Amino acid sequence: MSDVITPAMDLHPQPAGGAPRPWAFPAPERTTLDNGLTVLTCHRPGQQVVAVEVLLDSPLDTEPEGLDGLATIMARAFSEGTDRDSAEEFAAELERCGATLDAFADHPGVRLSLEVPVSRLEKALGLLADALRAPAFAEAEIERLVRNRLDEIPHEQANPARRAAKELSRQLFPAGSRVSRPRQGTEETVERIDAAAVRAFYERHVRPATATAVVVGDLEGTDLGALLAGSLGAWQGDAGQPNPVPPVTADDTGRVVIVDRPGAVQTQLLIGRVGPDRHDRVWPAQVLGTYSLGGTLTSRLDRVLREEKGYTYGVRSFAQVLRSTPEGTGAAMLAISGSVDTESTGPALDDLWKVLRTLAAEGLTDAELDTAVQNLVGVAPLKYETAAAVASTLADQVEQHLPDDFQARLYRMMTETGATEATAAVVSAFPADRLVTVLVGDASRIAEPVRALGIGEVSVVTG
Amino acid sequence: MGDTATARAASGGLTATEHRLANGLRVVLSEDHLTPVAAVCLWYDVGSRHEVKGRTGLAHLFEHLMFQGSAQVKGNGHFELVQGAGGSLNGTTSFERTNYFETMPAHQLELALWLEADRMGTLLTALDDESMENQRDVVKNERRQRYDNVPYGTAFEKLTALAYPEGHPYHHTPIGSMADLDAATLEDAREFFRTYYAPNNAVLSVVGDIDPGQTLAWIEKYFGSIPGHEGKRPPRDGSLPDTIGSELREVVREEVPARALMAAYRLPEDGTRAADAADVALTVLGGGESSRLYNRLVRRDRSAVAAGFGLLRLAGAPSLGWLDVKASGDVEIPAIETAVDEELARFAAEGPTAEEMERAQAQLEREWLDRLGTVAGRADELCRYAVLFGDPQLALTAVGRVLDVTADEVRQAAAERLRPDNRAVLVYEPLTAEEAGPADQTDTATGEEAAASE
Repeated sequence: MSDVITPAMDLHPQPAGGAPRPWAFPAPERTTLDNGLTVLTCHRPGQQVVAVEVLLDSPLDTEPEGLDGLATIMARAFSEGTDRDSAEEFAAELERCGATLDAFADHPGVRLSLEVPVSRLEKALGLLADALRAPAFAEAEIERLVRNRLDEIPHEQANPARRAAKELSRQLFPAGSRVSRPRQGTEETVERIDAAAVRAFYERHVRPATATAVVVGDLEGTDLGALLAGSLGAWQGDAGQPNPVPPVTADDTGRVVIVDRPGAVQTQLLIGRVGPDRHDRVWPAQVLGTYSLGGTLTSRLDRVLREEKGYTYGVRSFAQVLRSTPEGTGAAMLAISGSVDTESTGPALDDLWKVLRTLAAEGLTDAELDTAVQNLVGVAPLKYETAAAVASTLADQVEQHLPDDFQARLYRMMTETGATEATAAVVSAFPADRLVTVLVGDASRIAEPVRALGIGEVSVVTG
Repeated sequence: MGDTATARAASGGLTATEHRLANGLRVVLSEDHLTPVAAVCLWYDVGSRHEVKGRTGLAHLFEHLMFQGSAQVKGNGHFELVQGAGGSLNGTTSFERTNYFETMPAHQLELALWLEADRMGTLLTALDDESMENQRDVVKNERRQRYDNVPYGTAFEKLTALAYPEGHPYHHTPIGSMADLDAATLEDAREFFRTYYAPNNAVLSVVGDIDPGQTLAWIEKYFGSIPGHEGKRPPRDGSLPDTIGSELREVVREEVPARALMAAYRLPEDGTRAADAADVALTVLGGGESSRLYNRLVRRDRSAVAAGFGLLRLAGAPSLGWLDVKASGDVEIPAIETAVDEELARFAAEGPTAEEMERAQAQLEREWLDRLGTVAGRADELCRYAVLFGDPQLALTAVGRVLDVTADEVRQAAAERLRPDNRAVLVYEPLTAEEAGPADQTDTATGEEAAASE
């Protein structure tokens, strides 16, 4: 057949969009219950699955020495029985509501996330309140959770992306700092955890006065005040003081660490350092710049590494907040991640550094910045369609000591940011000579090509 | 445009109307004005089951090529224009279909329709060797990242190959083999487009804050002149006997972190009441942390770190129930397998309790509310029921059918299907330190939110 193909269809010019319909990130209502619990509420019409997030002020750096993973075990133990239900009964009651309850411990604290159809919200809120108010922390259940956690660790070690994340934290942060160590503990620390330690940690850090609940969904016809009074309102505790936040420092001397995986068909890349958190004035510009660098497959990194060279399924750059303070002295991890086939590891890193250097030398174009703004701001109504998405961002704001209207203001600030500011922000976020590179891959095949790039001293670790 | 539009009342207050263009393109519209967004979803009735021997992975590789430009869209323009308009997009390929979707701010709906029409009508004017070679490499890296370079990554592929016999259209998974990805030619891709990408082999759904009259007018304008054709070859017959007949088994010795017991059970085809009964059975047995297998293996025996059942619903072949158990510590597979068999046999004999039925159905109901709670999820489900079962309205009543299943039907599904002689078993045994040495669906863009999780 001929290479010149004439379309059989009628071609029409690209349509111009209509007028945007107004949308704003929702403003929550903020109240405090009699027990001191802060409550943020947000009515989202049509969202029949309600999302509830509870934040506890139990940061990982308050775990006792040598008991890393204690906050994780406590978080999981919340759904393993209460003063009313055994572990099996509690799981059964929750599922009878059609609910899911997840709990996760991260550096700022523990977060519980409940999702439930609004028709069964009352029952599910009661169970959530039982878990927080009167967790059983039965010895047999804690022992099982500890065993279970120990069983998970080898699976995480075997996963290249997770192994890379663990190594980057170990490389970046001072050995004594909690942020340098795995969030969910190591074999050595987890096996020391018992029910008494969990109970003591709970008594020390979990109380309504330092907690916040976020409730989002279609609340039309729901007397949420009464539901909360009969559930989370019954949780009692003393006043308590917020935990102090230790400063985050990092060593971003440019270097390469290879975690050796003989025979690996791909190399997992994680390239990072530390930068400011959302309190910093540079944040909106940094969000835009980071998107232009590696937010999607048409960003600078994938335009070369994926769409020109085919080295990867995709490489992304991002910022992930670690800790924040009301004073604005927090920190975020800035990173580039992805995986490339083993053979292409050297050439892919070479191209990646070229992209960074070109960006620093030439800057972002106005058109690139415009695309970034249009996407990040324009996509908001879709991103926040579900109750869970809204609740999660509202909870992040609380956790990071940001005002409730932060996200709404962030969108406005992004539309007022220029290419010069975004360039400065992303270049200072990802300076080519101050990045720590972790590669999980076959050292015998990738170490030499990577050394030849001159992006820092190369060392190899195993395990 | 045909006059087949009908609006019917449906569950949950959701409604959908159906239309058909003269060229055979079926259209489903559903209004929802709560948020100023609109989802466009286009299902082509082609998946990996249509692939031939030696060309596995072609449907998915082709899906990637659909993002490489068409007559009026240069290079990566499809991605650039949608994202630049504040939209999100992707495409995915499964056994039975290929779907493409754009979720847009409502005022940019027309752009998404124009883009989909341009590639449906004119892809071959832009498709060239350069994009073919590039996307071949991208897909091979996708395969390495998602399957070959992660522990147990090829388990699903192995189970599928066991459960559906050699030569069966579902014997291989959509990602395909490296050798076949290498062998695919530009002419294969062109031929694939000419065979399967036609308006009369597709369903387009638009859901959200839309004006149905205006939307239909745009669809007619952009898609109406694309010629339909009857070039499509039907997939090979996927029907199989109800049960496998005797247990199949494969033991894999690989560098994995723990022993694992996996199994694929042959289950009723999607779209039947029996498939819904099997769904409830799998949920009672292995869905969530109050299920029978979780309680037995993780809580009581403490022989597993994770245990559960998943359901792959298939319309053109028996569905597949996927058991996945990762062993705890040094526990050996026979101990786990005996416990699983005991639980399945007891369930087949006694059936679910009333409370178990309530729990399983409440979980399945919430999953449906989640699916239908976003415009994109609803658009996808409308296309699914239109393409696979000929009636999009079934999407809006699906949850009711799951809730209608009785305990006895659930017991019967388990008794007939969840039996040792109706499964393919895959056992993973980790290599010891001395031995170790050098050693369902797939989409266009990495979808995960980027984060460095440990």
